[in-house]
Amino acid sequence: MKKSIKAGLLCAVLLAAPLLSAPPAVSFRSFDHEGYTRVVFQSDRAFAYSVDAQDDRLQLRLNGRADFPAPTVAVANSPLLEKVTCEQRGEGSVLTVHFRGAAAVRKSFVLEKPFRVVFDLVRVEKAPPPPQAPPEAAKGDAAAEEPAPAPRPKPIETICLDPGHGGEDFGAIGRSKLKEKDVTLRISLKLKKLIESRTGLRVIMTRDKDSEVSLNTRASIANNQLAQMFISIHANSSFRKSAFGSETYFVSLQATDPEALELAQKENQNAEDPGEAIQNDELKMILWNMAQTEHIRESSKLAEAIQNELNQLLGTRDRGVKQAPFRVLMRTAMPAVLIEAVFISNPSEERKLQSDDFLDKIAQAIYNGVSKFIYAYNGSLK
Amino acid sequence: MKKGTRAWLAAGAAALVLAAALLLLLRRRGPGFVPELLSRDDGRGGAVAEFIKVKLFFLSETSRYLQPVYREIEMPEAREELYRRFVSLLLAGDGAHIAPVPAGVQLRSLHYLAGRQMLLLDFSESLAGSFPGGTAAELEFIYYMVDNVCYNFREIKKVKFLIGGNESKSLAGHIDLERPFFPDFTWIQEP
Repeated sequence: MKKSIKAGLLCAVLLAAPLLSAPPAVSFRSFDHEGYTRVVFQSDRAFAYSVDAQDDRLQLRLNGRADFPAPTVAVANSPLLEKVTCEQRGEGSVLTVHFRGAAAVRKSFVLEKPFRVVFDLVRVEKAPPPPQAPPEAAKGDAAAEEPAPAPRPKPIETICLDPGHGGEDFGAIGRSKLKEKDVTLRISLKLKKLIESRTGLRVIMTRDKDSEVSLNTRASIANNQLAQMFISIHANSSFRKSAFGSETYFVSLQATDPEALELAQKENQNAEDPGEAIQNDELKMILWNMAQTEHIRESSKLAEAIQNELNQLLGTRDRGVKQAPFRVLMRTAMPAVLIEAVFISNPSEERKLQSDDFLDKIAQAIYNGVSKFIYAYNGSLK
Repeated sequence: MKKGTRAWLAAGAAALVLAAALLLLLRRRGPGFVPELLSRDDGRGGAVAEFIKVKLFFLSETSRYLQPVYREIEMPEAREELYRRFVSLLLAGDGAHIAPVPAGVQLRSLHYLAGRQMLLLDFSESLAGSFPGGTAAELEFIYYMVDNVCYNFREIKKVKFLIGGNESKSLAGHIDLERPFFPDFTWIQEP
């Protein structure tokens, strides 16, 4: 019997090994609801992926291989979806949802147990064909049915600058009583001038004088003015007096993700049956806070562009690009970053912040980063 | 089916289950510490007191990581009292290191919500009133508390902060304090 157990263990290890390295089995399903279609990719385990959405298709690009039921799966009776295809590209798999007509992703999220990537798609109108003289026969009713132009991402035209703190909220205060709220306003006004004079872009500010503005109002100003970029400017402070350098943040949902998932699991039935309203206030709050979710990739690029320039121009310590759950960033629906220029709590850096030249350098560095980002972003739209 | 074959199959199945369980266990184990339970008598043949040895992490000027220091806490009967004593150690700080907490801040109350594996820490209003500001300082305070608590008491998965008995939007205008925080053990340095 001892021999049997040993052999059994060996068998188990041999059997389990290929199972553990096997690609995840991914299945697809969809639900048509009034006004939108929900698409769900489900897998027996979590996988790393990126998303590429176009108006005629949605691609889920897995970093590794996936087991999909067939190379092509037709979607029957869906007004929006035609089929789903799976191709192997290099080391990864690409799952493509082909639309009937044009569609856009309205919302996406991830659920666990089992692992699911969920997209809510809405129909959008297709861009009209390029203007040309159509034959007379094509005019009339048929021409009237021609779809309207599709909403496409626009080149960046409006930037919202957010000088941190203000009014009774002094922000951090340096040893020589320099207030963060004054520094952030001065940098922001310099930056506004630079952007407007050199690019002609529209710049709005959450405050342009020493006034107190709540974090929610700051985000609302940016959202209501349809800003396409949000830059919050701050000076840092630490309990460690020796801390110095500059860092740029974009939002992190990492701290909230498990909570959101936990709540989502509780609401599991609702998650795939949107006919039932989500009752949980906490979940609603989390979903609302995820306004930033779809812009995280661009926010990360913007943060990187700015941080690179800060490193070059300020000559201080590069503390890097980081993520944290910033209240003001979570509520903005556009690429958004928060810059901690240098440490007002560090006496040497505080002295620098008192110099107009140094503030010019900070504004110039941010401007350089912003203009590089805009150049790349607008270029990607062509 | 032959007896021998059945035994082989049964052993194989059992081994598979064992391997899967082991794998699951290994995947779920995160960083953490099991406080050591110590007993000590008073040297006069009196009562035996029980202590637990905990590992606290403090901020330092010389490292970007929180630095470990061992402490002992006399074991109370109620679990929440143990948490309260632990948080008091964090507030009191350590002479050789930095406790990223404004002076005079007190713990008003503490509740453990077992169903949600969440510890509610309610601090005095002076936490917001005298907070020095700055994103770095906010993150230092938050993860000093959350990492220390979750590292030493593995039943606690998240921490939510209250100030003066109420939810607060943020400590000093940066990090969203209305939601619970999960530990981020990249802040701590194992010796």
